[in-house]
Amino acid sequence: MTTKQWRTLNRVLWTVSLLIAAVPFVFPFLWMLSSGFKSASEIFGQPSLIPTVWHWENFVEVFQYQPFARQYFNSVYIALSVTGLTLIIASLAGYALARLRFAGAGLLMLFLVSALMVPEEVTIVPNFFLIRWMGLTDTHLPLILLPVFGPHGVMATFLMRQYFVALPKELEEAGRMDGLTTLGVWWKIALPMSRPALAAVAIITFLFSWNLFLEPLVFLSSLELFTLPLALSNFTDPYGAPLWHLQLAATSLAVLPILAVYIIAQRQIVESFAMSGVKG
Amino acid sequence: MTSLSLHNIKKAFGKTEVIRGVDLEIDDGEFVVFVGPSGCGKSTLLRMISGLEDVTSGDLFIGGRRVNEVQPAKRGVAMVFQSYALYPHLNVRDNMGFGLKVRGLKAAEIAARVGEAAETLQLGPLLDRFPRELSGGQRQRVAIGRAIVGNPDVFLFDEPLSNLDAELRVHMRAEIAALHKRLANTMVYVTHDQIEAMTLADKIVVLRAGQIEQVGTPRDLYNNPANVFVAQFIGSPKMNILPGAFVAERLSAAGIGVPDGKVVGMRPEHLHVAGEGDAVLNGRVVLAEYTGAGSLLHVDVGEGETILVTHEGQNEPAFGEAIALGIRPENVHILTPA
Repeated sequence: MTTKQWRTLNRVLWTVSLLIAAVPFVFPFLWMLSSGFKSASEIFGQPSLIPTVWHWENFVEVFQYQPFARQYFNSVYIALSVTGLTLIIASLAGYALARLRFAGAGLLMLFLVSALMVPEEVTIVPNFFLIRWMGLTDTHLPLILLPVFGPHGVMATFLMRQYFVALPKELEEAGRMDGLTTLGVWWKIALPMSRPALAAVAIITFLFSWNLFLEPLVFLSSLELFTLPLALSNFTDPYGAPLWHLQLAATSLAVLPILAVYIIAQRQIVESFAMSGVKG
Repeated sequence: MTSLSLHNIKKAFGKTEVIRGVDLEIDDGEFVVFVGPSGCGKSTLLRMISGLEDVTSGDLFIGGRRVNEVQPAKRGVAMVFQSYALYPHLNVRDNMGFGLKVRGLKAAEIAARVGEAAETLQLGPLLDRFPRELSGGQRQRVAIGRAIVGNPDVFLFDEPLSNLDAELRVHMRAEIAALHKRLANTMVYVTHDQIEAMTLADKIVVLRAGQIEQVGTPRDLYNNPANVFVAQFIGSPKMNILPGAFVAERLSAAGIGVPDGKVVGMRPEHLHVAGEGDAVLNGRVVLAEYTGAGSLLHVDVGEGETILVTHEGQNEPAFGEAIALGIRPENVHILTPA
């Protein structure tokens, strides 16, 4: 066998192995998509990945059963707000912790990181009292403020700080020589060079906000204000049993923005890696 | 064009003093090179001139204006960094025009100035490339171009050639010298390479442990070093230093007196294999390193002293051979020990 044939065989074997390894991850996703098109009885009938009858009307019914469009919009704008605010605040705070010399910077970082070790379930009760005292229950503000300023925001700040610390200082000094202020250096030099970190933080934050369940459950009571995770658990019959065909159709719709965010951010990460390097 | 004055400049990081009182005058259009071993404070001094480091005490004047508290961009200086510090997310054109854009110049003027600098540095075909698509030498030229476009009064170079290979370094050195001739701006250049210092400088400033050891033209420093440190730092291979008592008797026969407490310096290139008549030292060759044009001889002259001798030509003495070494009296340096 020639070297070329060996390489081809090697590639084929790797591809087949990886495809097999991917099955446990992809199959539930395909099952969800397929079941979204089935009737409730077919889901519990003879298992099949292809529906015998395609029930497109499931996707219409999802919007009639409860204000799903409004709930979808809630999730989108909350996740976008949380992501945008987190990117701005975490990158500013991370830059300050990485580059500004001020008394107690190390201690502050230690204090912030230690906050990451407290599970959100522990803080949900005091947070609830705080939010109620502020008069913000049954609004979306706690769902935006808590992720931005809570442990997740700290995690994002920590990630950004670690990235900024590794950026070559000379580039920022060149910016200062060119007349930029500290804020200008952050905006025009540090941020454009931190696209991989920003993309990673954006993905993590969007996913975090999108999947948030405990906080909406605690803080929201109006159906119109529900976010998708709450809405999905609300597709039930009068006895509280899940309406699987509607839940799975709705879940299929719910994953679309995540895929979009991942595809956009992934391109950013790859492009940014190609751009890295100060000197050759 | 602008002069620089440093009056008792000091810099401390916490309790560590890295610049310990520097007084220096740099004239209009002068090419001044700071040299010294690693950690001597030469880059820190340059960064203080640029404004990237604060001055702990003392006064810094650029063009007669005290600039201790002036922002880097408002000092009229431009800096070329060791790592070039080109913005990786901008192409060559935008890298060069970045500072002008920040200063709010009109697009047409930015384009004109970038074009002019690109022509001077032969960067025209590279303007749309990104730094990652350039070779080391091209990046260095872009870094210089970025400094030129701002029409600074003073150029500051922080070891700009240290990342280049030997051949390119020689080429870029010549380009920088030509640039200085053409622009005639004041330039301050930091290097640890004394060949770069000798070839480029109008004036060399030798630094050690945050203080100036000597200031002078390359010729001054080579011919009249102020002390053993400067004598050994300038010149390659470095100057041989022998205890005064060791050679006093032989030198007095040649009419050279060695006062007590002094040492004697002899450059390897000034020593020659001589007849017994004019010899000041006798020794035995312990190593001969062939360098092409000649050889570098390591000669044991007794009492544990080994000196270097540059021997020209192809017929160097063999290993173990006893030789006599002579030197012209004007090439003997009587120095204060470091």
